Amino acid sequence: MVYLKCRDVVDKISEIIDGQASMMTRMRFHSHLMMCNNCRRYFKQFKRVKEISGKVTADDLRADFDHVMGFVMKEIDKKDV
Amino acid sequence: MPGDRADHSREYVEVEALKAGTHSAWKELLALHGPALLNYAIRMLGDRGAAEEILQDSLVNIYHTIDRFEGRCSIKSWLFRAVHNSAIDEIRRRKRYVNVSQEALDSYFNEAGHWINDCPGWDGLAAKQMDEKRLLKTIQDKIDQLPHVHREVLLLKEVEGLTTTEICAALEISPGNLRIRIHRARAALRAAAVEG
Repeated sequence: MVYLKCRDVVDKISEIIDGQASMMTRMRFHSHLMMCNNCRRYFKQFKRVKEISGKVTADDLRADFDHVMGFVMKEIDKKDV
Repeated sequence: MPGDRADHSREYVEVEALKAGTHSAWKELLALHGPALLNYAIRMLGDRGAAEEILQDSLVNIYHTIDRFEGRCSIKSWLFRAVHNSAIDEIRRRKRYVNVSQEALDSYFNEAGHWINDCPGWDGLAAKQMDEKRLLKTIQDKIDQLPHVHREVLLLKEVEGLTTTEICAALEISPGNLRIRIHRARAALRAAAVEG
């Protein structure tokens, strides 16, 4: 099996966490992590940041969107008249 | 897959109703995707007022040009593409080019591709214990500073939850390009959160 370098591991993290890597790449990736503290640490940081960035949701924008919707629907209704 | 076929035929019926100008179809479409489109525009422009304005104009424009929709992508991708293009025009108009340097990954590694020093930043255990609110704030701020080519893919994927196919259709980019952009955006966030 061809071993991945640390640099390759770091470059492949998104492919791995998004489930887009081949089985061979996943095997090489995880065997590298077992042996390398630095890549393991980078991987954990990366995963944590990805997890948190998914929580960057806006406040509930439904109420704010209501007046945009009101404006657009008025335009749509104009055409019907 | 049967589910996909059902989705496609439902969308076909919806699109026909939209093209016919059916009030309820438009209302349903806007209620379904409007808040996410507004969120996307706000995050792209960093300005609520401008975001509402471009969204209004884009949606009215979509209404007037719906006949041009040929069903090559989902209606959701088409909506995001229209709002995205208006946001980019606005960014260009304001010349709001934010140049944030990407993580200097090369400086971490030697010529053989191995770490020169230890990986900087907290370890896994500290990561779990780190104040989530503080980390969220750091990430939020960094997202706002990312160049738009990275910010847009991150928002569509992580925040709005669009699929790879939907994002590629909305931004008219290839899956390979999306993969590179999303990875660079995440790497920049990691650098800000961990080392900043």
